[in-house]
Amino acid sequence: MKAWIASFAVCALALVAAPALARAWQVDSAHSTLTFTNTYQAVAYTGQFRTFTASIDYDPADLAKAKFDVSVDITSLDTQNSERDSTALGADFFDAAKFPKARFVTTAFRQAANGDVTAAGVLTLRGVSKPVVLTVEFVPHGDAATLDVTAHVKRLDFGIGSGQWSDPAMIGADVAVHGHLTLDAMQH
Amino acid sequence: MPLRSTDTGWGALVRAFHWAIALLIVLQAVLGLTMVQLGVTPEKVRVFALHKSIGLGILALVLLRIAWRLSERRPADPAGTPRWQRRAAHLAQLALYVLMVAIPLSGWWFNSAANAPLTWFGMLQVPSLTGGYDPLWKPRALLVHQSLFWLLVAVLSVHVGAALWHHFKQRDDVLRRMLSGKSRGGGG
Ligand code: HEM
Repeated sequence: MKAWIASFAVCALALVAAPALARAWQVDSAHSTLTFTNTYQAVAYTGQFRTFTASIDYDPADLAKAKFDVSVDITSLDTQNSERDSTALGADFFDAAKFPKARFVTTAFRQAANGDVTAAGVLTLRGVSKPVVLTVEFVPHGDAATLDVTAHVKRLDFGIGSGQWSDPAMIGADVAVHGHLTLDAMQH
Repeated sequence: MPLRSTDTGWGALVRAFHWAIALLIVLQAVLGLTMVQLGVTPEKVRVFALHKSIGLGILALVLLRIAWRLSERRPADPAGTPRWQRRAAHLAQLALYVLMVAIPLSGWWFNSAANAPLTWFGMLQVPSLTGGYDPLWKPRALLVHQSLFWLLVAVLSVHVGAALWHHFKQRDDVLRRMLSGKSRGGGG
């Protein structure tokens, strides 16, 4: 009898607790990238942030509990051009000395009628917090998954290269950011 | 004003190439030497872009000039010129052709290794010679670009000095026939 009650209690607890734990994933950094494309003097280029961490809670069947919290090391910027990188980290652009980190935290996920998922969130970059929307493509493979997110960030919204550098013919106004994350399910 | 060179004078096309390229090289040298001292501003980016576009223009003109020159005779050296002077003059002229090709090529090479954007006056996107960023060869390419430029300055001083010496000391037609295409006595 006691044993029965105990096991019932455990099951009930598990039932209550399980939905609260949206599925948590661990990012496989070696196989994940955070890249962006932009134009410089009207020529397209690609850059990346080599160092970032992300806490990903995501279950496609339970978007209400989904949450992304991404922290980016701005100084890990690499556009394959050392002059451009050091200029971009300077005070006119990312001002990495003052704002070494950027952060993106989701506020709500939405699924459109056609199944496409978007995540609204707040990006904090160079001391400015603004809403940014991600498109989310999540592909599970058993205990692993890939997550591809894309966002369009208006650099001037965050004061990156304002003033004399604001001309979009010199540096494109729209920056397409793309995260490709390889995920492993966290063991509980 | 014959287009082609004769035994006594340079043709109109050779003279046009000669003076147009001479003017552009002077402009290009002044641009190159001043632009590297500028602070990082959009102005600097524009001046660099101008230097690159003019340099590529010079390269194209020089290649056309060489093709034309190969299809032509050259006017005879002034009678009585010592053999060593002829050889020195022709060697210096050959060196100028080589340098006028090698210097813009080295600039293009450096620009490619630095992974900097390259367009021709913003109208034509020019491909990279290195297929992307090449931090290993980048400083070497710059050293080549700078060294060849100073070699050009050295050869040009001999070339210009000799031309002036012919004109003012020898009082022959060497400079005149590059200016007007005609020798005083000649039927060119
Ligand atoms: C006849 C043609 C050219 C001449 C005479 C020339 C001359 C020069 C000179 C004098 C400098 C300054 C070097 C220094 O003091 O550091 C320079 C720098 C430079 N040139 Fe050229 N150049 C030519 C063509 C080109 C071309 C075609 C390109 C690119 C497509 C180019 C790209 C550069 C760049 C990027 C620099 C700056 C190097 C730095 O960042 O320090 N040049 N050039």
